[in-house]
Amino acid sequence: MAKIIGIDLGTTNSVVAILEGGEPKVIANEEGGRTTPSVVGFSKDGERLVGQIAKRQAITNPENTVYSIKRFMGRRFSEVTQEIKRVPFKVEEKGGDVRVNVKGKLYSPPEISAMILQKLKKAAEDYLGEEVKEAVITVPAYFNDSQRNATKAAGEIAGLEVLRIINEPTAAALAYGFGRGLQQKIAVYDLGGGTFDISILEIGNDVFEVISTAGDMYLGGDDFDDRLIDYMAEKFMKDHDLDLRTERHALQRMKDAAEKAKIDLSENLETRINLPGIITKDGKAYDLDFTMNRNYFGQMVHDLIQRTFKVCDEALQNAHLTVGEIDALIMVGGPTKMPIIREAVKSYFFKEPKADIDPEQVVSLGAAIQASSLVESTAGALLLDVTPMSLGIETAGNLMDTLIERNTPIPTEHSRVFTTIRDNQPGVKISVFQGEERFCKDNEPLGEFRLEIPPAPKGDPQIEVTFEIDANGIVNVTARDVKTNKARSVQLNVSGGLSKEEIEKLKKRHQGDEAVATFKPKHLLE
Amino acid sequence: MDPALLNEIITLESVLDEMDYFQILKIKQSAFASEIKQAYFNQSRVFHPDKFYNEPPDVLEKANKIFKRLAEAYNVLSDNDKRVAYTKSIAGADRKKYLRYDPKLIEQAKAGGQKEDEGQTPMGKKYYQMAKNSMLNKDYNSAKINLQLAAKMEPANQTFKRKLAEVDEIIKLKKQQKVGG
Repeated sequence: MAKIIGIDLGTTNSVVAILEGGEPKVIANEEGGRTTPSVVGFSKDGERLVGQIAKRQAITNPENTVYSIKRFMGRRFSEVTQEIKRVPFKVEEKGGDVRVNVKGKLYSPPEISAMILQKLKKAAEDYLGEEVKEAVITVPAYFNDSQRNATKAAGEIAGLEVLRIINEPTAAALAYGFGRGLQQKIAVYDLGGGTFDISILEIGNDVFEVISTAGDMYLGGDDFDDRLIDYMAEKFMKDHDLDLRTERHALQRMKDAAEKAKIDLSENLETRINLPGIITKDGKAYDLDFTMNRNYFGQMVHDLIQRTFKVCDEALQNAHLTVGEIDALIMVGGPTKMPIIREAVKSYFFKEPKADIDPEQVVSLGAAIQASSLVESTAGALLLDVTPMSLGIETAGNLMDTLIERNTPIPTEHSRVFTTIRDNQPGVKISVFQGEERFCKDNEPLGEFRLEIPPAPKGDPQIEVTFEIDANGIVNVTARDVKTNKARSVQLNVSGGLSKEEIEKLKKRHQGDEAVATFKPKHLLE
Repeated sequence: MDPALLNEIITLESVLDEMDYFQILKIKQSAFASEIKQAYFNQSRVFHPDKFYNEPPDVLEKANKIFKRLAEAYNVLSDNDKRVAYTKSIAGADRKKYLRYDPKLIEQAKAGGQKEDEGQTPMGKKYYQMAKNSMLNKDYNSAKINLQLAAKMEPANQTFKRKLAEVDEIIKLKKQQKVGG
């Protein structure tokens, strides 16, 4: 039977895993790394680099090195103005959508993600000695419909059929509880490079029920790095009256140093940040050199950690549970390795996190378990996940009319009958939103569609519109004329996404000119 | 695929619209919260579409439909307010109309076609608003006190009486569940 891989497509790092002999296992990439940096570089002679090699050349080639692409997935250009400021590569607008400009060539975020996926796909193929065509890919629980669609598109461009999109904290819970016959309520604290999720689950043997989930789309390990970068830049500004953040190379070097310092402070109480010749002005080279200690860093990021606890409060409240009723705490994501975070989370939950879980690999392991559960569907684990955000439509006064409440188990559907308010009204426009705010303008627009209605007296036509959220958390809309029982599919005009035709075109392009996409058996494994 | 299971899916899917949530989850109307969850887990193990992932599309679609209804049933019955309103609505003569939970339909039925009377005296109005806020915060004990005060101000107000009876029911159910775990 063909193997299906599980992929954790992260903001900072990505991981691929498979289930082998009933046990999930992470597959190392070509360079032997178990995690692959989610970085794509385009070298000076036009070669495409992915992973560690791409990351390594980032300092010398910042404008042609793309990282944190996950922050741009499925988003409109107008939504990412803050994100653009923090990356050294060029981001442009194309018809309201986001494009990355590398040497004059435009790439959509799913295309960049596809390059990372292709590398992971190849790693799995080299290991297995056969072609891999199908995958389960994870996303933050708090990803909305557009972001999930973009992730699915990335998989397709990479030549992978995406059998399922699952939520990262749910995947982690699966990896923790799979095959252990547990009866527990657990909390999964998932702080990734770019996003924060908290999920509360109940495990009943092989059934994993998500009771509630909450998240912050704009909070991750990168924000901790940014605090250090800001500190460096401000310190430098005070000493030399020069702004390092306006210079691409300097920004990239500071980013690199901040990440190293953060990791260093996990092991040591003190670290030295030394960047000689960070900037040259009027023929004079300036150095950045200082020492940072763990306590001071802790104070700098205190409010970021507190922000995660607000989200935890919300999730617990929605689950009608208190911390005392949580049996186990699982920590996920590279940043949770920081002692300042571990200590704070421990005291919030009054609990030691489970120690035998690798926060960087656990999500991919869960994805691999889910992949195999779909193949051998009768046995295996069963995930009962929920939708993280309420789904609704716009009504008079920009008010949001919620059709499907958040934390509703998925797949789910809700129908609503629409009619006309004027005689011979040609149609009705329906705008779909996701979010918890009262006014639609404060929620995420998913798109809109028009229903054509045959000429009739007002109030006479009856069009039943069904909003469905599938097991991937993706929204589908269908309409049916109640009188004639004629069904029609409705194209939700997805914002910031790619059309089916575009995906197909990109798929051909990427597999045509890419040597990585075509599988060559490699029997020698390192 | 097991022919007996296939048969069960076909039959269940065809009668889905005639069953109430208790029948779908195969539980009694007096079931404890823990029993509802257990039933949801057990039924999901059998009917979740992932268990039919490799079956023909029509079987998968039927399982999908069954699971969605199971989840809907669980969602309504595991929320005390919704459960009370739902259980009451399916006990009446119009049972068929209420098999699927619809808050708007239930609100209409409860008012018996009459509009909500938010109070005629300033104090009655005030206590009723406070009671409504307490209900939103799921603080039923203070909702009860405020409704009692409102009813004292306006003994003839039907909306106050009806809401008080509802809150009493919810408090009763909560006590029962504490005992039952």
